[in-house]
Parts: sequence; C-alpha cells; structure tokens
Amino acid sequence: MASVTLRGLTATFEGAARPALRDVSLEVRDGEFLVLLGPSGCGKTTALRCIAGLEDPTAGDVLIGDRVVTQLPPAERDVAMVFQTYALYPHLTVRENVAFALEMRRVPTAEIERRVADVAARLGLTDLLDRQPAQLSGGQRQRAALARAIVRAPQVFLFDEPLSNLEPNLRTELRAELLALHRTLRATMLYVTHDQVEAMTMGQRIAVLHEGRLRQVGTPAEVYERPADIFVARFVGNPGMNVLAGRARTLGKGSGEELVVEAGSLVVPVTLAEYEGQMYLGARPEHVGLSGVDQGVGNGDVLRVEPLGSETIVHLNAGGQPLVARLPGLVNVQVGTRVGVKVDRQRLHLFDAAGERIP
Amino acid sequence: MNGARARALTATVAATGVAVAVLAVARWGEERFARAGAVTIARSTAAYLAVVTPRARADSGDFNLSQLLVQARALTTLPGWTSPVEVYHETGPLVDATAPPLPAAELAQLRRDEGARWQDGAALVPLRGPGEGDVVGAVAVRPGGRGGLGGWLFGWAFPAALLSVAAAARWAFGRGPRRTYAAAALLLAVAAYADVRGAARGSTDRWLAATRLLLREAATRLPGSRARVALSDLAPVARGGGEGAELVEARSAPERPRRLRVAGATRAVVVARLGTGRWVQVRTSPAEARTGVWLVALLGVALVGPLTLAGLQWVEHGAARPRALREAVTAWAFLAPAALHLALFSVGPLLVSLYLAVHGWGEGGGGGGPGLATFWAVLRDPLVWGSLRNTVLYTLYVPVSMALALGVALVLNRSTRAVRLLRAAFLLPYLSSVVAVALVWQSMMSLGPYDWLGSPRTALLALMVLSIWAQVGYQMMVFLAGLQGIPPAYLEAARVDGANGWQRFWRVTFPLLRPVTLFVLATGVIGAFQVFTYVYVITGGGPLRGTDVVAHRLYQMAWESLQFGRGSALSLLLFLVLCGVTWGQFKLLSRRIEHA
Repeated sequence: MASVTLRGLTATFEGAARPALRDVSLEVRDGEFLVLLGPSGCGKTTALRCIAGLEDPTAGDVLIGDRVVTQLPPAERDVAMVFQTYALYPHLTVRENVAFALEMRRVPTAEIERRVADVAARLGLTDLLDRQPAQLSGGQRQRAALARAIVRAPQVFLFDEPLSNLEPNLRTELRAELLALHRTLRATMLYVTHDQVEAMTMGQRIAVLHEGRLRQVGTPAEVYERPADIFVARFVGNPGMNVLAGRARTLGKGSGEELVVEAGSLVVPVTLAEYEGQMYLGARPEHVGLSGVDQGVGNGDVLRVEPLGSETIVHLNAGGQPLVARLPGLVNVQVGTRVGVKVDRQRLHLFDAAGERIP
Repeated sequence: MNGARARALTATVAATGVAVAVLAVARWGEERFARAGAVTIARSTAAYLAVVTPRARADSGDFNLSQLLVQARALTTLPGWTSPVEVYHETGPLVDATAPPLPAAELAQLRRDEGARWQDGAALVPLRGPGEGDVVGAVAVRPGGRGGLGGWLFGWAFPAALLSVAAAARWAFGRGPRRTYAAAALLLAVAAYADVRGAARGSTDRWLAATRLLLREAATRLPGSRARVALSDLAPVARGGGEGAELVEARSAPERPRRLRVAGATRAVVVARLGTGRWVQVRTSPAEARTGVWLVALLGVALVGPLTLAGLQWVEHGAARPRALREAVTAWAFLAPAALHLALFSVGPLLVSLYLAVHGWGEGGGGGGPGLATFWAVLRDPLVWGSLRNTVLYTLYVPVSMALALGVALVLNRSTRAVRLLRAAFLLPYLSSVVAVALVWQSMMSLGPYDWLGSPRTALLALMVLSIWAQVGYQMMVFLAGLQGIPPAYLEAARVDGANGWQRFWRVTFPLLRPVTLFVLATGVIGAFQVFTYVYVITGGGPLRGTDVVAHRLYQMAWESLQFGRGSALSLLLFLVLCGVTWGQFKLLSRRIEHA
C-alpha cells in the first residue's frame, strides 16, 4: 500500500481553451478512501487518469509512495482502475477478464487460477466466471470490473464514477460493498464522482474540484459545515446552500454586533469583524425557518412547496434572490403568500466578494 | 366444434388437396412420358413395317397387303414384345381382325399433319408407304407402365403424400413443428419427381427394348446375309426414337438398355445382335434428361401447402393484431423498391443464367434438351480447372493486402493533417479508374529489365502485386473505421493491466476487430474470385493461360466462343463456390462480440 501525492499537477489538452487541471496539489494517505468530487468537466477524471498514467500532465508530478511515477507507463505504476463503462473485454469471459492482468505479468498459471477463484468467491462471481460480459447484469459487470482490479492487489485503486451507470437501489448496495471492501483490503483508494451523496457517504476525505482547481480537501463534515467557497457551499448538500449576494453595512462604531448584511429583502445581523461592501451570505436550507410576516429578518414570497413527508422544501423569492428553506415534517404553506424568514444566526456562512470564505 | 379445431381441420384438408395436386401433377408427368414412349415405339414399328414389307407392285406406292398382314401379326409373336400394338391398313385393323376399324376422320387427320395422335388410349402414328411414301395406314401402340388406380398408388409419391398430410395435420393441431410439414412437402415433391423420372426412364427403356427386337427381326427378314445388312436400311427403325436417335455399329455387349456417356452427353443405348459377329447399337437421348422442369413444377406445387398454411397463420395472427398486420404491410411497402431492384437486377439475371445453363444455350451446349449436361461439360473442361487454379492462387493476395492494410490503419489511426493526407494517398488507387490503372501498370511492368507480364510464372504474381496496391487503401479505410469503433476504454484498461503494445494488439484490438476482418476477408475473397478487368486489359488471360481466371474464362466462353450456356453454367458454379467459401468464413470467424 502507498500514498498518492500530486504536486502542482497541471494538464492542458491540445486545443483546449483552459487547462483541465491547474496546479493541483493533494496527498492521499496510505490506506485512505478519498473522493474526488466535482461537476462534469471539472478535471477530476483527468486527475485520475494522470495518476493511472493514461494522461501526461503538462507540469507537476505524481508520486506513489516515495516514487515519482510521472514519466512511467501505466503498467509500472502498480495501480488498478475501474472504469465508468467497466471496460470489460467483451470477447473474453469473466474469468479471462479477471486473469488478464496477471497473465500480462506472467504470473504462473496455478497462481492465477487460485487468485481468480479467491477474488471470485469474495465478490460472489464464482458462478459467473465462464460468462461473457454481455451476459451479465449491470451489477454483475460492476463486480467483475472490481474483481479485475482487486485480483492484482495493487498499491492504489482508482475508481472513475463506477456506480453512475447503475440504478439507484443497486448503487446504494454496491456503495456499501465497496466500503466493506476498503475496510478489508485497507488499500489506498481514489474515487471520482459527481454525486455529492456518494462523496459524503463514502469518502474519508473529500477533495472538491472545480474548473481544474482544487477548492477544498477535508472530511465530509468539514466540507459540509465549513465550505471553502461559494462553489463548494452550493455544490455540496441537497438542496445546496442558499448563497445570497448582499452588502455589509456597519450600523455604528464598536463591536461586530452592529454589522448587518442586506441581501435582497433580508437584513441579517452578523457576528463579524469590520467589513464593508459587497459580500455573500450563506445559509443551509435546514437553517432557514419561516415565521409570521415582519417577524423575522425579512419577508419572502412562497414560489413552490415540495412536501416530501419527513420534510418540506419551500422555495422563496427574497427580494429577487432565491431562498430555499427545509422544514421538518409537513408544513402548511400556501404558494403565493408572503411569509417572514428566520435564520439560525450561529450557522451562517459569510463569503467575501471573490467568493472565498470569511473565517 | 370450436374455431381452432375448425381451422386445424381446414388446414389439414388444404394440405390433403395440395398432396393430391402433387400426385396429379406426377401422374400427368408419368402419362406424358408413357405416351411419348408409346409414340416412339409406334414410329419405330411403322418404320420397321416399311423396311420389311415389300411393295404391292414394283411401281406401287403401297405395300403388299398380305405381306403387311403377316408382318403385323408377327409383331405380337416376337419373344419379349410387351407393347399392345395394332396396325391399320387404311382403316382396317390387321393384328386383331375383330377390333373396330380406325375412324376415317382420324386417318384423314394423320394424312394431313402426319404427326402423332392420341386415340382411345393409344398412340397413333401414320404408316407410310414404301420409300417414305404417302400415308397408307396407321400404327397404334398402347403405352406400358402403370395405369389407372395402380398408377396413383404404386410409387414413391403416394406414401410420401400420406406422410405430408400427416405432418400437416400434426402441425395444424399443434402437435408438431411447421418445419416437419415443410420437410414432408419437400420429400413429397422429390418422391413424385422420382416417379416421373422413373416413368421417363421406363419409356426410353421400353423403346430401346422394342427397337432391339424390331432390328433383330428386320435383319432376319431383309434379303441377303444377316451379317451384312446395311445400317442405312435399318436406320429408319432407330430414327423412330425421335430427335437424337441413331444407329451405329457396335461390338458385343449385354443386350439390355443402358446409359452411356458418349461425347460428353449421357445417351440411352441398347445393343442388338443382328447376326454372327454383327452388332449394332441404338442410341437416343434419354427421356429422364428432360425431367428437370417437372422437378421445378412439383417443388412449386408441393411448397404451396406449407407456404399457404404459413401465410394463413400469419394473416390469422395479423387479424388478431391489426397493428402488426398494418406494420408488416407498411414495412413491405418501404421494402418494395429495394426488393424490386434486387429481383430485377440480382435474382432475375441469376434465373436467366440458370435457364441458359440448363438449356445449354449457344454452341457446344449439353445438347438433347434441358439438364445438367452443360454443367458436366464445364466441369470436365481442363481450361476451367486451370482458371480455377489461377483464381485460387490469385486470391492469396487478399490476406497479404489485409495484413498490410491493417498495419497501415494502425499507424494512421490518429487525426493530424499529415495523417489525413496519407490516408487519402492510400485510398487514391482504389478510387482511380480500373482500366487506367491497369494500362499504367501494364506499361510500367514491361519497362524494367525483366518482363513480368511475359512469363506465365510471374504474370499472375504481377497482377497480385497490382491488386494489393489497388486494394490496400480501401481495406485500410474499413479497418480504420473498425479501429475507431473500438471504445478506447478497452485499450486503456489493457494498458493499466500491464499489456504492452504487442499484447494490446493481439489480445484486445485484433479480437475486437474480428467482424471487420471478416467483412474485409469475405468481400476481398469474393472480389478476387470475380477479378476480370485487370486480366482482360493487361494480359488477356495469357501468357500461356497463366492468368486465365474464372471470370475471364466464362467471358471467353460466353462472348468469344458464344457458348452462353456453358458461360452461364460456369458463372453459377462460381456463385456456388463463393457461397460455400463465404459461408465457411462466417462459420469459422463469426463468433459474435457483444459490447458490454
């Protein structure tokens, strides 16, 4: 097992307007399960392919353990990759697929058989070994792809959105299986996804990428509770954080208590050192509540109500800016009425004009 | 009785009707051959009587009546004579005096058109006076073979008909598969054809047997030594067998009807011993060689059954699901232009050439009516085998050019400006006019120190090199399309799995390219088998037929020697060979790959 370190990794594709990766530095610890999270086109797959050796970075280095592998071909990096499409060789049986990498490495036949049988037993593939990939269901293909990676016992596992082609139920099931596998193998795993639920539930740490830049690395709780910038705040969580553009204004001299942020129709007093001018105010939907008109920090018009049973999502128009409130249980709110808005002032997030978090 | 049962019964009745129809067609065929046989016997008998009966007077156009009576009566006493025969002088019967006379109208008719007539279940031919004179009477012969109910029951067809009805009933009542009925219907057609063919063969054999007896008898009755009877005296008897019947000197042989191959055609022969050391052979074209059309007709009628029942079933299903019916009709409407084109320009010419071949159209055909003789003639032609050998050798260029094309495709499987230009360069020869290319190469190859086209050893090789040059570009494009159809993830997975370039090609790329490889191979082999232009333009098949390929040979046959039948036969044989070769390739190479 080994750590994976990216040092100032930059990758620019020929003819592309901007680099797919910009100066990304990241350390994946030995035995860690790290999720690379970001919307499509953010560079997360490129980062993974640079680690695998399928793309050459324009600048920067990739280290596996203490070894600089930037210039090494994939075969010599000792990494295994599970592709989004699984990339099971269609003309080979599951057994041949799993054994392929071992054959390429000239592992003795008896050993190959033993290891394939072991892995197949572990993943419940024993009865499917002689089938062709086309004869497998989506979940079975996923397991076969996993088996192909595991059988090599590599230093690092790379997963490229491996669950995105599966139906939701199966996805949940396989998520749990993958985590169990990680616990038993104690291997270093990098997992790329655009699904923040997957990231939150699976990652020991999450690295959020946006437009080729690494925005934040931290545990799921850190990323959720202290997002580094507006992008992370909005991207993580479902629905994402409310981020309202506003202006900070000091009411009087003295303590920060007198600072208010005027955002749309809301005027929110905040605890903050002196700040003047444009800024962003963030509040998770669950930290927004409703009250009678003029009884909160401002008023909003109800645009849409989504009663989900255990909770109700209310979409508001707060002076031209969208605001989402997540209320427990079923709430009787009428679309088109005006309501007062409350916010949990202890849980507010403030971002400066550039979108960076104000600590 | 519910609807399904009624339908099943109707289907069974329909199948029975079809089986009866097949039997009827077979009966009709048997009858026709039996009648034709009776006509030949009657003609030979008439000729025999004319040969052996003296004239009434030296200047008379009629026979000596008493002699004619004796000769006619003697016919029935010939040992081995089986055909019931009657001889009429004018309208009076000579053999059986108590038989009714020949109606005067019949005799008048015979005098008018001198053809064979069918009267009262017997073949009636004119009896001409001595020396090919006027019609003085008639000879009537009843056909042998099975007639009446026995004709229906005793043969291969009847049990086969029962079988087909049983199979149809099983299918209609849902107890057996449709293909069993189809197979039974085919069997019925073949069995009925066997009966018809048997009848045809029997009719020829009966004529041969009868003619043998007549010839022997004539030899004893003609004046002079039996060993020196002139063939020309006896020839009219043999000529009664119709077109192609002849009499030749022969050596001793068993005196029974046989089939012999004479000058490339099958002939029905019998040997007759005229006297000590004197043998003659009667030859004719066997009637069974003219039964091909009956096979087609019987197959057509027999297959009406399964096709009708399948059609009824389809319509019934369609009626239950009107949308499906409508969709099928719409689909056929859309298919119609393509289907019409296919029928007009592919299936049509195929059938025409089949007709030409079967009928031996043109010079040097099989002769003697439709049959497989033309095909045999083509197969025995050493030039055909030589051209086939050349074609097979020539086809060996296909794997070579494929390997080159695949190599080039692998190198050019990227997209830069230079690569696109290179691809175009490789494709140019394929896009150029074949004749122009051929002429340029022709002059190029005779420029150097060695005249490649001058020796039969190297001329074919030169054509192969030219073909490689011309075909590589096209094959490369197909391979390129195939390569680009392989999802890159497979090759990336192989890289991560540790496969080097060689292993990636042989373990991943090449297996995934198999459908494309098969396509290139199959089209390449078909094209190579059909190669014509290069040969025609550059070498004309020479030198010393060293480049005479099949397509060139059949062109030579059809257009130079004007043997259209043989040319068509060769083209059909080529078609069959290609079908076989292509089928074999698919069998060997086409394991389906489903992309997961």
